Amino acid sequence: MTETTVTPERPLVVEEGETRPGFIGQNIRRKEDKRLVQGEGVFFDDVKRHEMGFVHFVRSPYAHARIKAVDVSKAHEVDGVYGTLTGDEVAILTDPFFELSTPPGANIKDYALAVGRVRHVGDPVAAVVARTRELARDAAELVEVDYEPLPLVLDAEEALKDEVVLHDDAASNTVWSGTFDWGDFEGALAEADHVIKIERLHFDRFSSTPLECSGCLVEYNRGTGQWTIHGNHQMPGVGAIWMAPALRVGIDKLRFVSQDIGGGFGNKITLHPQFTACCLLARKLNRPVQWTEWRTDQHTANTHGNERTFLDITVPVKADGTMLGFSVRAIDDCGAFPRYEPLGCIIWAQVTPGCYRWRNVRVDFTQVCTNKSPVAPNRGYSRMQHLWLTERIIDIVAGELGLDPVDVRKKNYVKNEEFPYTTPNGCVYDSGDYARCLDIALELIGYDKIEEKRVDAESRGKLLGVGIGSTLDSGTNNFGQSMILNPELQFSGNNEVATVKLDIFGEVVVTLGTVPQGQGHETTTAQVVADILGCTPDEINVRAGHDSYWNSHAGFSGTYASQFAVTGLGAVKGAADKLAGEMKQLAAAVFGCTPDDIELAESQARIKGNPEAALPFMALGAILNANNAGLPEDLDISLNVRHVYRPQFEKPDLERKYGNLTLTYATQIHACVVEVDPETGVYDIVDYAAVDDCGDRIHPQIVEGQVHGATAQALGAATHEIFTYDEEGNLLTPNFYDYHVPHALDMPPLRTGYIESTSPFTPLGAKGMGEGGGAGIHAVCAALQNALGKRGEGPIVWRSCNPYHRVWEMLQNPAETRKFVSVESR
Amino acid sequence: MLLREVEYARPASVQEAVRLLSDHDGARALAGGQTLINVMKARAASPDALVDLSALAELKGIDLAADGTVTIGAMVTYTELMASAEARARPILGDVCAQIADVQVRNRGTIGGNVCSNDPTNHLPPLMVSLGATMHIVGANGERSVPAEEFFLGVYMTAAGPGELLTKISVPPGKSDGFASVTIGRDGTCIVNAAASVNGGVRLALGCVDAVPVLIKAGATDDDAVRAAVREANLQPPSDVHASADYRRHLAEVVAVRAAGEARGKR
Amino acid sequence: MDVNVTVNGESYERDVEPRKLLIHFLRDDLDLTGSHIGCDTGNCGACSVIVDGVLVKSCMMLAVQADGSNVETVEGLAQDGELNGLQQAFSEHHGLQCGYCTPGMLMSATALLRANPHPSEEEIRTGIQGNICRCTGYVNIVEAIKAAAE
Repeated sequence: MTETTVTPERPLVVEEGETRPGFIGQNIRRKEDKRLVQGEGVFFDDVKRHEMGFVHFVRSPYAHARIKAVDVSKAHEVDGVYGTLTGDEVAILTDPFFELSTPPGANIKDYALAVGRVRHVGDPVAAVVARTRELARDAAELVEVDYEPLPLVLDAEEALKDEVVLHDDAASNTVWSGTFDWGDFEGALAEADHVIKIERLHFDRFSSTPLECSGCLVEYNRGTGQWTIHGNHQMPGVGAIWMAPALRVGIDKLRFVSQDIGGGFGNKITLHPQFTACCLLARKLNRPVQWTEWRTDQHTANTHGNERTFLDITVPVKADGTMLGFSVRAIDDCGAFPRYEPLGCIIWAQVTPGCYRWRNVRVDFTQVCTNKSPVAPNRGYSRMQHLWLTERIIDIVAGELGLDPVDVRKKNYVKNEEFPYTTPNGCVYDSGDYARCLDIALELIGYDKIEEKRVDAESRGKLLGVGIGSTLDSGTNNFGQSMILNPELQFSGNNEVATVKLDIFGEVVVTLGTVPQGQGHETTTAQVVADILGCTPDEINVRAGHDSYWNSHAGFSGTYASQFAVTGLGAVKGAADKLAGEMKQLAAAVFGCTPDDIELAESQARIKGNPEAALPFMALGAILNANNAGLPEDLDISLNVRHVYRPQFEKPDLERKYGNLTLTYATQIHACVVEVDPETGVYDIVDYAAVDDCGDRIHPQIVEGQVHGATAQALGAATHEIFTYDEEGNLLTPNFYDYHVPHALDMPPLRTGYIESTSPFTPLGAKGMGEGGGAGIHAVCAALQNALGKRGEGPIVWRSCNPYHRVWEMLQNPAETRKFVSVESR
Repeated sequence: MLLREVEYARPASVQEAVRLLSDHDGARALAGGQTLINVMKARAASPDALVDLSALAELKGIDLAADGTVTIGAMVTYTELMASAEARARPILGDVCAQIADVQVRNRGTIGGNVCSNDPTNHLPPLMVSLGATMHIVGANGERSVPAEEFFLGVYMTAAGPGELLTKISVPPGKSDGFASVTIGRDGTCIVNAAASVNGGVRLALGCVDAVPVLIKAGATDDDAVRAAVREANLQPPSDVHASADYRRHLAEVVAVRAAGEARGKR
Repeated sequence: MDVNVTVNGESYERDVEPRKLLIHFLRDDLDLTGSHIGCDTGNCGACSVIVDGVLVKSCMMLAVQADGSNVETVEGLAQDGELNGLQQAFSEHHGLQCGYCTPGMLMSATALLRANPHPSEEEIRTGIQGNICRCTGYVNIVEAIKAAAE
């Protein structure tokens, strides 16, 4: 067992329903570590089955083509090939996956393999299964596919025209479209002293590219019709919702098992097409089948983050720098298939005004399909894109009007005394102190000495820039927001489940409904349970990973959307509270007193004020489970409790598109200093500060680790990580050679700080914070703008990713982007 | 990720290696594998047979002659070269090797492999051209030597043809060398690179701008002279996701000036 | 082809195709699944192991090239279930989150500290430059290696 490095100084005395920090707030050693540092983790590709077959997908080399014929006969002739699967079979054996959108998006037919047409390079067309990985790969080359290439569309604005349409059944590329209008934007325009117009901004395609690719090993039990999927799906509940109806079976027939997952970041939520293909193969071939995705396939054909174009941004501003709101036309590019989309069309509304007190907002939002990789809820999902917009607006407006970027933020930030703060569309920001976080960030990067640093940089021929990135990480969704997109959807609220039991030898065993990919759920769970039961985290056994057969779970179970500290630990707390109550009832029955006379401390249930009258946990477990004669008839306990945590949400007002869409709002405010070499466009991030506020921290190291990781990913997305396509729809960055993610030497010196603004809405005062909100992207763009731009002159940083060649273009031709911005002053 | 079937041999002598390479059309020499294995994983090229050179002691070792010539065995790894006292006689060699990729790649990747694969973004082809190195080749017909500037023939193609093996590289004495590059991230792939050697005038070799390193000579070594010489070369660099042709052409000029400046500074 | 290899002190003899990569040999033939695969182009370092004392990426070596060699993988670091100092340091300093890059990171750190017992921060970062991590931003990995070096 791992050792606890910190023990509480005094024994805990816990009242039912109350948790006092003992281990909560400490940096105990993670339970996950012992196996992971020995290479004893179990990732899906580590699981083996006798006689399993290896799957290789035959994938389309075309971005858009009709499939005229698929001939697998030559593959079958290879010795060691067990079988194949084609789109024609899939179309017979399964129904299309459930679509979330309204028509026309609702009419899209999405199958496990391409049926009739391929719609992006890498779209899987057939699958070959063989005795070894190499043989499957070899045999796949013998599959002959006759394609008839079609014209393609790679640009969202082009796709809107519906000249090249991806899905005949939808007869349009538009997946979803709608307008959001809150406050009085026209009134704000009339009241404004300045109106700034930004013609376009563009949030580029990238993804968090988890190091472990996707995959599964699927077994099929012919006798019971049960599939067991050892795979790294991070939200199997939703996976089952897609797969079960498609496979025409009940949800219980799909068992998802995972122990360790090598990162997900949202890219392992829409694995249902490939998993379904593997299920069909396991059943057809009557043997376990194993699929391992390759890096190239993950980049070309698994998932990207949403790519979003913002047009006609209009910002009314008062002379004193008060921003009254904004209007924008947003076009989201979701790639070839929506899948989890169009949820991204509403999720941004959790943070409509960003960190700011803007009351008048109008958003015209459209989502389209293009012949690119489908998207998934990549880390920061849809809020990051929108928050980047709000930060670019603040930054550009401040730049154009000559306002100090710090002052204008503080002027417009939601103020500490205004929390809980209701946004124009009814979301309630729970707590925070943005101005204070900003001050800490600026102090960490030595903002007061910035002008000296600028002079020093100039003496070395460099342009220095400093930028601020404010962001929110909204967590714990109210899924009722999906009804705003499609009133027919029957999803609302949220929930998570945990079970806690006291076993016969006094062992405490916890199961979680969540599916961790490195966030330390086993550890923080143990901290919470230990504090409630009055024992140590070492005595809490948290089952590693997730098994949908055995781990109790609910409709929204999974690890996504920055919610574990709230929903997961809320479920854990609820279950542990109940168990604590039962343990006291049992002790009271044994001692002949009332439960109020009992306290849980030092791994015992004992009479308050009389520590000699104590029952160790082992005794409690043994009495109820094996030695229970004589217990009162009305003692209704099981010492095996399940709790469903359900946050308080209402269904949103669909007509006004108004309501609280998320329970918590963590803050991250970053500051960045760059030095640009004007001779080449090459730049370095020379200083960096990240300040976070996620309410009460359960395990500070884990929180900080998430901040570090989110920062690194954001810096990658800001500098080199971009999915770019050529004219034929080929991805030009399909692997880590060209898609450069930060390595150890690429990271700037990273200074961190934090505050804790307790959330009034959550069981532990904590907020979810894993995603982060992309503050690094906002900060780097702002820093580049500061380095390259001058008031009223200089280029405008209008894209989220700025590799050296883009910086170069801005230096060479500032007028080209300058023309995107106009200021009308009254 | 998964190679096609291939035969494998690990000969014990250069003679045997040359015989294996000459006898089979589809045989390729396997040096460190840091390029070739990746190429085979992608199935961009699939030799029928691999002739592993790792047991050939004759291809290892770095010799420093009395006249200052550094002779490097083709199978010397970047790490070995960086640690070599003999190679320090021409410091730019170790300096450039230290910029290549990462520790793991440097531990296996070889000097010979880097020049023979002749990927346009490689570091050593332009370096060897600027240093005026000599490449020693062994084939069925015996040994021959080729100056570096005649060694590189096309993308992935060098004068070491089928059935031939690069055995060593001799680098003449000198110290006034420079190397500059723009890379994707620290120690990442080069977008442009330039190697310069000053000896009276300057020998400049530009990488990444053509199929082979572009050799430019200038009588004067100051920035303006270098710039003018590069412009006169009328480069037509490729365009890719990291740089347009124009941007690459501009960067090439910048790194040429920087490399020459570094070389000048060491006179 | 016959391959005789010693891994973490234990001898193995297997018949493998020449085309089999060393990483697949370790994971699939020897059931040593601690070393991982994260990419196709030799960039990520998740497969890093030590062969005859030299840190390599095992996805760019053929199993047959390891014939007669001594290989060290993450499974060989702990002794009798006791974590070594480096492994302890990684845990103490939260130098891992999902754990997927960790085996390769540990082997790179092991190789680094053998060659350079007291590395500077720059030397540490250079030592792990061939190992990609998507979770930690490298901050705590560097801290862990510093702590292990002391």
